[in-house]
This record gives sequence, C-alpha cells and structure tokens, in this order.
Amino acid sequence: MVVGELAESADLLVLGGGPGGYVAAIRAAQLGRRVTLVDEAGPEGLGGVCLQVGCIPSKALIELAATAERVRGMGDMGLEVEGVRVSLERFQAWRERLCLGLAGSVGRLLSAGNVTVVHGRARFNRPDRVAVRTAEGQARFFEFEQAIVATGSRPVELPQLPFDGERVLDSTGALALAEVPSSMAVVGAGYIGLELGTAFAKLGTRVTVVEALERVLPSVDASLTAPVVRRLRARGVDLRLASTAERLEGGQLVVRDGDGEHSVAAERVVVAVGRVPNTDDLGLDAAGVPVGPDGLVPVGDDLRATGRVAAIGDVVAGPALAHKASAEGVVAAEALSGRPAAFDPAAIPAVIFTDPEIGTAGLSEAEARADGIDARSATFPLAASGRAATLGATAGFTRLVVDAAVDRVVGLHVVGPHASELVAGATLAIELMASPEDLAATIHPHPTMSESVHEAAELLLGHPIHAAGAAAPR
Amino acid sequence: MAVGDRVREHQELVEVQTDKAVVVIPCPAAGVIAELCAPTGHRLAVGEVLVVIEPDGDGAGAPAPATATEPLQSAPVPAAPVTAPRAAGRPLAAPATRRRARELGVDLAIVAASGPQGRILREDVERAAAASAPAGAAPPADPAAPGAAVAPPSAPSVPARPTAAPSRPGDVVRLRGVRRAIAQTLTRAWHEIPHIIDYREVDAGRLIEARDALRRRATERGQEELARALTPTPLIAAAAVRALADHPYVNASIDMEREEIALHRQVHLGVATATPDGLMVPVVADADRRSVGELALEIAALARAARERRLEPGQLRGATFTVNNFGGLGVWLGTPIIQPPQVANLGIGAIRDRVVPVGGEPRVRPVCALSVSGDHRVLDGDTLGAFVSRVVTLLEEPLQIFKDLS
Repeated sequence: MVVGELAESADLLVLGGGPGGYVAAIRAAQLGRRVTLVDEAGPEGLGGVCLQVGCIPSKALIELAATAERVRGMGDMGLEVEGVRVSLERFQAWRERLCLGLAGSVGRLLSAGNVTVVHGRARFNRPDRVAVRTAEGQARFFEFEQAIVATGSRPVELPQLPFDGERVLDSTGALALAEVPSSMAVVGAGYIGLELGTAFAKLGTRVTVVEALERVLPSVDASLTAPVVRRLRARGVDLRLASTAERLEGGQLVVRDGDGEHSVAAERVVVAVGRVPNTDDLGLDAAGVPVGPDGLVPVGDDLRATGRVAAIGDVVAGPALAHKASAEGVVAAEALSGRPAAFDPAAIPAVIFTDPEIGTAGLSEAEARADGIDARSATFPLAASGRAATLGATAGFTRLVVDAAVDRVVGLHVVGPHASELVAGATLAIELMASPEDLAATIHPHPTMSESVHEAAELLLGHPIHAAGAAAPR
Repeated sequence: MAVGDRVREHQELVEVQTDKAVVVIPCPAAGVIAELCAPTGHRLAVGEVLVVIEPDGDGAGAPAPATATEPLQSAPVPAAPVTAPRAAGRPLAAPATRRRARELGVDLAIVAASGPQGRILREDVERAAAASAPAGAAPPADPAAPGAAVAPPSAPSVPARPTAAPSRPGDVVRLRGVRRAIAQTLTRAWHEIPHIIDYREVDAGRLIEARDALRRRATERGQEELARALTPTPLIAAAAVRALADHPYVNASIDMEREEIALHRQVHLGVATATPDGLMVPVVADADRRSVGELALEIAALARAARERRLEPGQLRGATFTVNNFGGLGVWLGTPIIQPPQVANLGIGAIRDRVVPVGGEPRVRPVCALSVSGDHRVLDGDTLGAFVSRVVTLLEEPLQIFKDLS
C-alpha cells in the first residue's frame, strides 16, 4: 500500500450498479444511509448486464423477431403484408437509445437518493477500504463502514472457442449484431442460448443449437420443454443434443456426437454455456470475505458475508436472475442498516422467452415430492383456452402443483403464450399460501391466459368447466 | 398441572422453552388431564405428545378418571406448537407475517398457528411475542437463570438477537428475548444488592506456567480438546472453587423474605458467556467435585452450547457462585454484578505485562486484575477480602489448586 494515500469516507459502499446494486443503493438511501455506488461502466452503464446487455435488449430483440414472424404468419387471419424487412442496424440504434434512456432513469433515481456514483473498477485492499481505478486511470480510495458486493457475473468462455467479438460471440455480442447472419451456431441450450437461437431463427438465420446434455433447458422440468422443442424443430432449428462444439473450421463449426464429427454452418458462433460470478478480481481476500470454489460468496439469511460486507445477486447462491438480485438488494440494505431482514422467499419465479414462453413459480411436482410434500398436480391444456386460440398459439399447458397435506399451492408451471405474465400471480398465491379452492373461487378475467390458472385449479378440485375429460388430478 | 386437573379451552396450559424463547401453549380442548407424558424440565421433540386430555363426557363435573377404556377420545396435544398437519420444509407464513416475526424476534417454528391447516397469521406472531418470556430465562419461581452479569467500564455491549445487526441512530429496537431477560434481571440485581467490590492484582506468572505445563501434557497425550480448553478461566475458576470451601458465606444465597442465609454444600459454578443473543450464564454443576481438566472441558462445552443456542433450561439454573472472564474483551478492571440470590461474582481482567517491584527491583511480570463483587448484606470487607486473599494465594501458588482438585 502506498503510504499517505488519502481515503474518502463512505458510509455504505455498493460495488456494482446492476439490478442488485442500484436497488440496494436506493433502499439504503431511503433508510438514511450515505451511499456511494461504484460501477465499472459509469453513469451510462447503470443497470448492469440486465439493462445493458441482458434482459432488456434481449427482450427487445425477441419482440422484434416475434412480431416480424407473426405479421408474416397472419395471412389466414386476414393480415396481408408485403415486404416485411428487419433492419438490425436500425434496431441497434434504437436499442442504444433505449438502454441509454433506461440507464439515465436509474441514474436519476440514484441521484434523487443522493447516491454518489463513481465510475471505475473497485478492489478491496483492506477490510474497510477499496481502491477504485477510475475511468480516467486514477486511483481513489474509499474507507467504508459497510459494503455490498453486487458485481454480477460474466459469460463463461470455452477454451476451444475463445470469444473474439467477431466470429465467436457471447450473448452481449449476439445482441449487438447489426446484420442478420445467414447461419448461427448456438453453443448451449440453456435459456440464454435458446432465447437467442429462437429470435435469430425467426429473423431468418439458419440456427444450429449444440448442447452437451441430452435435453434443453436443464433448469426446468423436462415436461415443460417438449412444446418448445417441437416449435424449434418445426421452425427448422437444428437441435444437436449430447453433442459438443469442437472447433471452427472455415465457415463451419465442428460438432462431435456419438457418431463422430459433423460440420454445421456457422457464420457466427454464440457461446452461452453459463456464467461465472465476478468475484475473482475484487480483492475479497483483503476484505476477509470468503469465496467458494465455484466463485460464489457464502452468506447468511441476511446476505452478510462478514459483519460489514454483504453480497447479493449473481455472486451468491441461487438463480442468476435480476429480480432475485433486486430482492436481495433490499434485504442486504435493510440488514446492514440494522433492520431485521432476511432473504426467505417461498418462491423465486423464472421466465424464459422461448417460443412458446415458459414461466415457473415454486416447485414442480417432482421437486415437491423430493421435498417430502404430498404433491398433486393438475394440467390444463391451452388447446382448451379461448385466448390461446385467438392468439393462434394453443401449444402448451398450465400446471398447478399443490401440497395436499395442507391444501396450498406450491407451484405453477406454464408453457404457452405470455407465460411470463402469469407467474407473478402464482408467486403471490404461493407466498400467501392460497389453496386451490382460493384460486378456483377467484374470478379471473376473460378472455386472458390467466384463466388457465383458474381452470387448472378447478381441474385439481375435480370439477373443470372447460376441460371435459381432461386428465383427472393425480 | 396434574393428572385429574380440569382444563378449559384456551386456558394457559404449559410453558414450553425452546432454544430461543419460552412460549405459553394454550389448551386446545376442554376436559380433564388424563396423562402428563413428560415431567417438567423434560425435553420433547416437535410432534411428540405432551399431554392427553379426556374431553368432558357428561356435565357432571367430577373429572372422569383417566382410564385406558376411552383412549380414542383423548386429545393429544403435540409437544410444540401445532404446525400439524406439518407442511414439509418451512413454517406456513405469508411474507408480511415472516417480516413481523423477524421484527419481534419470534421464531416461526414455535408459533402456534391459528390459520387453516397450520397457517400462521400475523396475530399468531404477535400473540407469541407477547407471551414469550426471554430466552434462557428461568420460570419466575427460579430467578437464577440468565445469571450474573458484569458491567465493565468499557465493555462492548453484546446485542440481543433482534438487534444483531448494528442499530443506527433513530432506530427503535424492541426489548425482547435474552436482552429483556438481562434487563429485568440486572435491574433487580442493581436495585436490590448493595455491592462491595474487592480489586486485586495477581502475579500470574506461575499460573501461566502451570497452564502451559498442563497444556503440554494434554497435547502429548493427544488430548487436543483439553489443550484448547485450558485457558486461564478454568484455572482461576478452580482456585475460586477451592477457596469457597473455606469461605462458606461466599458460596451462599440470601432470602430477605425469610430472613435466611443459605450456605451451600456444593459449588454450582455459573460461567458468564457472551453469545449472539446476549450474555448467558451456563452452570457447571458440582464444580467442587471436578478436576481442573474436567472443569476446563465442561466450561468450553457449555460456552460452545451457549453460542450455538443449544443450552437446555436446566443448564442455566442453580448457580451458587459465578465467574466472569471479561479480560478477553480487553477489560482491565470490571464491575461484576451479582445475580440474586447469589452473593458474589468473581471478575477476571486481562492478563498483561506490567512493571512491578520484585525484591525492590522493577520487573516485568504478567499481572491479572481480579474484581470480586460481594453482597454487603452477607459479606463485609473482611469476609470478602479473606476469600479473595485465598484465591490470590492459590493463583500465585497454583500447585495447591491441583493438589486439592485433581
């Protein structure tokens, strides 16, 4: 350490301005804390991966691709269009404005809370101090009372396919493409890979998805993925399961499976095989914060790793999801401010913007049984949904899982259009321990997809209105 | 409560002490107690039967004797709050209820649920908070539980569980659990007991040598746990226990209502222990019959159990004398507060190198400051002083401790 370096004092220091960090900063400011937030990307990059290169831009691209495809496909319904063209160049300009605008909004929220935003890269060099290498290359030091580590995660690189920003891209690179590639190999059939692959397939790219496991979307119940796989195949996506990406050879990606090596067209290769926590270059050692072999920081219910340092979001265990990080941000800010706070959700919902969408809240039937719950489920097919019919998208179902012993909803799993919008209500039902009868007796508006939740509850109780002969509750 | 007693529904039936709180369980049905399945002080697992109540058969009033003829009509009461039918995993409570429980320091696992099928309502949590006596506190009949405390001049406060996070100016923290027990007990102790305090400096050189020798021996014998447990505390405690044998008025209790001083035959030694919940004083029973090694292991085990919230109520009761090592906190001289009905509390300060005259020459010696509080109603300066002198002699000639104790 340089002798004589002058440290600025920070009451609560937040490392990272993503959906975990900025929410924590605002909540802490509401509790009267003096908050300093350090982010590598600075004021224009606030919002983190989610806002800049994740949830927001990917949903924008997915919306564009889906709309283009739907418009072309509504001839039967009477929509006559000619010459629908997609300009990814214009999309990128629009996306830039979108992200800048949203980052500006986050910045205004932070300044309304008198949060000081420092543009730079922070590293702990003492239990109570960080050094920040600023964007201008200077070093600033902050001595903090307490700190929240919210530095997020980054894509994993494959040694045989290092990211080059040109041929081999991570999800960020894929979302920044200004031209629709003729072909694309997506390595990894997790939700990021499938969302991107689906979007580009809709834009006209020949997509191959390469997955080492035997199935897609390993994080969700296998039954939910069948409609997604059917649609991918119907759309011409080449789904190569139990296959590994070996190397690039000319314009091709060489893929190995049980039969040997095959070449697939790959003007671009998108590697989406997972994410690693950004905890390796933070000097967490110096702060006395332990880091596990997986790069995650072990924390208690109150998200503290040590007496004065909390960690939230992708750097701690649990799904790497923005809403989980935000919820943890609130808890960490409260706990560090002396409030009795704990992160103890009954369910963390998850949404996947494939086609059809997947939305889950709580436990699947198998998970519930594994937890020792006397689980029952009922599955309402969307073929019986009026709203799904008007959308021309009747593939999929809504499945309700209940704990029969105490008569409460423990899970909702939807695959179908707008599934992502249905799970918030289900999460509320789980948190409030609603019984299937509560759901059945609650009026759901017609004509909406939400009726499927109501119908699944009726089905479970044995008196469905719109599913005569449907599978009786198990 | 006894077999044959008539009980009303909702009547307070039993106090159940959990790891963290004492909870009053209301009676779930009217009737007559047919069977008490566990004696007072017994430990039951969640779901075990605590009591069998025969429902009132006729209105005749006379309690039907508990017979085996009508077992099917009996209403067994689960030992801990009714989470039955149990949902797998976690207590059934909505997010706002969970938050309320955290605010009130209530453990949802022991809240009696009044909602359908074991759902815990916000009111249940508030009821549990109101009914909960402090964790670690003994029932009112036996005030000897949370134990003697010390108020050293600069000791850092040990926050109670609800305030485990650092509180900030402007926060209001509710007095709950162990913190409340400490507050109540010490208010009584401070108001009631006229404290006199004997401060002494002890040359701890030989004590440390003796400790080192014992440690070496333990290590050589592969008794790692014992080696770790051999801190100055058990040695000083052993010296105090030895000295008590000759000074019965220090190992005593006073009852002002009956105007009696009870001189105890055994030494049950309270050991003040900082825990995440606050100060607790687990008790080494029959300390006068234990070797230094046994004392060391027992003190270490109790301290660990206290920190891990595994103490049973019985382990917090019945101390006749207390030691309190606040030296670990960096305190030189403290002010030990006596836990009624005990009459003394021995405080141990930090052992530090000091320049002291030895044979007319300045020498650097490890010095330990003792502060021993006595209840002036029982002890005078000379009786307390005689006890402390004996402790000092034993510490400066520690071989005598082992002679008598091991």
